[in-house]
Amino acid sequence: MTEPRIKFENVCKRYGPLTVLDGLNMEVAAGELVTIIGPSGSGKTTVLRVLMTLETIEEGLITIDGEPFNKMRSREGGLVPASTAHLRRIRARIGMVFQNFNLFPHMTALGNCIEAPIHSLGLSKAEAVGRAEELLDMVGLSDKRDHYPSQLSGGQQQRVAIARALAMRPEILLFDEPTSALDPEMVDEVLQVIRQLATEHSYTMLLVTHQMGFAREVSGRVCFFDGGKFLEEGPPREFFASPRHERTRQFLNKVLAAH
Amino acid sequence: MNTRVAAIAVLVAFLAGMVFATFSELRVFLPALLRGALITIEVAALSFLLMTASAFTAGVARLSPWWSVRWIATAYVEVFRGTSLLVQLFWFFFVLPEFGLTLSPMAAGVLGVGFNFGAYGAEIVRGAITAVPRGQWEAAAALNLPVFRRMTRIVLPQALVVVIPPFGNLTIEMVKATSVVSAVTLVDITYASVQQNQLHYRTVEIFVVTLFLYYCFSQLIRFSMGLLEERSKRHLAATR
Ligand SMILES: Nc1ncnc2c1ncn2[C@@H]1O[C@H](COP(=O)(O)OP(=O)(O)O)[C@@H](O)[C@H]1O
Ligand SMILES: [Mg+2]
Repeated sequence: MTEPRIKFENVCKRYGPLTVLDGLNMEVAAGELVTIIGPSGSGKTTVLRVLMTLETIEEGLITIDGEPFNKMRSREGGLVPASTAHLRRIRARIGMVFQNFNLFPHMTALGNCIEAPIHSLGLSKAEAVGRAEELLDMVGLSDKRDHYPSQLSGGQQQRVAIARALAMRPEILLFDEPTSALDPEMVDEVLQVIRQLATEHSYTMLLVTHQMGFAREVSGRVCFFDGGKFLEEGPPREFFASPRHERTRQFLNKVLAAH
Repeated sequence: MNTRVAAIAVLVAFLAGMVFATFSELRVFLPALLRGALITIEVAALSFLLMTASAFTAGVARLSPWWSVRWIATAYVEVFRGTSLLVQLFWFFFVLPEFGLTLSPMAAGVLGVGFNFGAYGAEIVRGAITAVPRGQWEAAAALNLPVFRRMTRIVLPQALVVVIPPFGNLTIEMVKATSVVSAVTLVDITYASVQQNQLHYRTVEIFVVTLFLYYCFSQLIRFSMGLLEERSKRHLAATR
């Protein structure tokens, strides 16, 4: 049996007295697209942030292809806290798209997309520009390469942010409510890009979203997150048709009523 | 801006009048004052470099993840902000030789003024870095940029926009404060005018010229900082 690409084992994350991840277990296979849904403030963003190493965890183990992530194997074989070099090596395999885009405002669309390939991967400028132009083209923004974020619409900014993440050639992509900060008419252009990534490429993707229709359409599996862990999960068709838990039903009713 | 132009025009007219009235006297004391002005410019320029370097070093260091680095930077800021500039100058000029380190008046003056104002600048830099949204750090980290690059390529350029206006004011304060270097025997504008006054007794003319020279320095700095500010925030305005 092959190792899952991503594996959370009994992961706990606390902010002071608040336990946000409470013994979380999760496995994601290579190439799988998993959607995480759940109430606001339940800790969905935290799941992604922990995986992106933007947060440390108090307990548990996260592995990528069987390799411990937040910890690493010492020479004696035991587990010790990960070194910066180890973190950077594994982090290079993961890309993240944020709810608020977080583009670098002092750089053009192209500048945003070549910054990390040059200064983190060590690509030459010509190589990085070539790669970035391809990606901006893919997200439909080749004509905006010299625009600054302040000159782009929200939807365009988020598409640049996706291109920026892809420029690092990650295997795993994390999307944290990528359309929540957008005006309704811009949601589709971003979803279209994600749809394309899901169908034409082999990324392993974790997607947090409130777009239930989109989740049903693209994901291989939907997970309902509540109370610090996954309450239930399943293939989208079954999940939406017959949720088993009362909490899930309540949540789905509320979200679907709002749309 | 217009009132400032008017003020300068009035001063120039006043000076021109005085040149006319006391031409011979002006010729007697002006060269000495201008030599003083050169010293002031030299002290101010070197102090500006030192102040900027120590402000950015200490400002960044105060946010370091290592407590020892933070502690050293905090100690620097506290000591230089918490004690008198004049006394700091005396330390560099009179006390350090007691420990075998003798500094020239210029070196002592620049170290005193530069480190003193650098300590205030450090707080400006620190505040500006803290004001850069957390999401910028996180995006840079998620893109696997090394910590040093996150700071120099992503955070500092954005902090700079916030740093420039208060840094301009601080620089003007610094230039005016360079007059303390007369206490360590440097003949800057202030000291030169005191000397010339004792020689020639043209008190009003001499001190009007002195005021005017300081005022010109301040305006020059305000003008250059304004240009820098314009340049730096050209693309940032709409995203904040
Ligand atoms: N840095 C932090 N410090 C303290 N509490 C936090 C912090 N970040 C998130 N939280 C809390 O953790 C909980 C989960 O947050 P989050 O993962 O953002 O939820 P979601 O994305 O599901 O809305 C929330 O109650 C939030 O207030
Ligand atoms: Mg969230």
